[in-house]
Amino acid sequence: MPIRVQLDRVLFERRMSLTELADRVGVTIANLSILKTGKARAVRFSTLAALCRELDCQPGDLLTYEAGPADEPDDET
Amino acid sequence: MGFAMRRPGLTPDAIAGGGRFMRALGPGSVSSFLKIILDVVYGALWIGVVAVTLLVLAALLFSFNPSLLDDVSLSSGDLAARWPAVTGGLLAASLYMAGVLIIVGCLRRIFTTLTAGDPFHPDNVGRLRLIGAILAALELGRYAVWAIGTWLLVGVGKSQPNLSLTAWFSVLVVFVLAEVFREGARLRREAELTI
Repeated sequence: MPIRVQLDRVLFERRMSLTELADRVGVTIANLSILKTGKARAVRFSTLAALCRELDCQPGDLLTYEAGPADEPDDET
Repeated sequence: MGFAMRRPGLTPDAIAGGGRFMRALGPGSVSSFLKIILDVVYGALWIGVVAVTLLVLAALLFSFNPSLLDDVSLSSGDLAARWPAVTGGLLAASLYMAGVLIIVGCLRRIFTTLTAGDPFHPDNVGRLRLIGAILAALELGRYAVWAIGTWLLVGVGKSQPNLSLTAWFSVLVVFVLAEVFREGARLRREAELTI
């Protein structure tokens, strides 16, 4: 996935833990971990808005694009 | 008037939400009822397969050693000569029942996921494909049995094998359903990874 999630960096800059962010945003820690580790396939606008609101940042601070290998195929069955 | 009588045991909410009594998925639904039926059929099929297999083994024993039948009053030279055909017939029946057993086994596992409320479990795709393949194999086996029967038993093969369009239609429908489930499983996986 060429989209990188910079949640770790933003959290570090804000001195905020993943647990605290999960509480504030209303997303489970498990789901935030999926997002943080780059395993997520999609982010809802509502989730992104809540993250930006609580972290006081812009979507571009959280997401970056890095050209790399092609996306994983959707069909793994 | 009499129309104002209340029906015991049925609240207005229950009457309005009548569809809830016929839930298709989840515990206590039609799926769980069908799962119970499939469990019973699966058990009965196992007994049938074991019984037919034992008969095949007995028929094989008699076909290799017809003298074992000498003491049986019903036995005759004609019957002894037909033992290979009887054995083949029983073997075909055994294979047919084994195929049906695998199909019912797959259906049981699919209905387990339906009862759990998770119809698009990734494993269901493979199960449906297996069911389609076995249905096709059973239909081809039917033609093979007919062909071998006409070759071995002279005079029996006067009838033509009817090409069952329903069977082949069912095979295609099952394969299409497998693809539908594959798409469902893909969407489910994407939904799981959507934050």
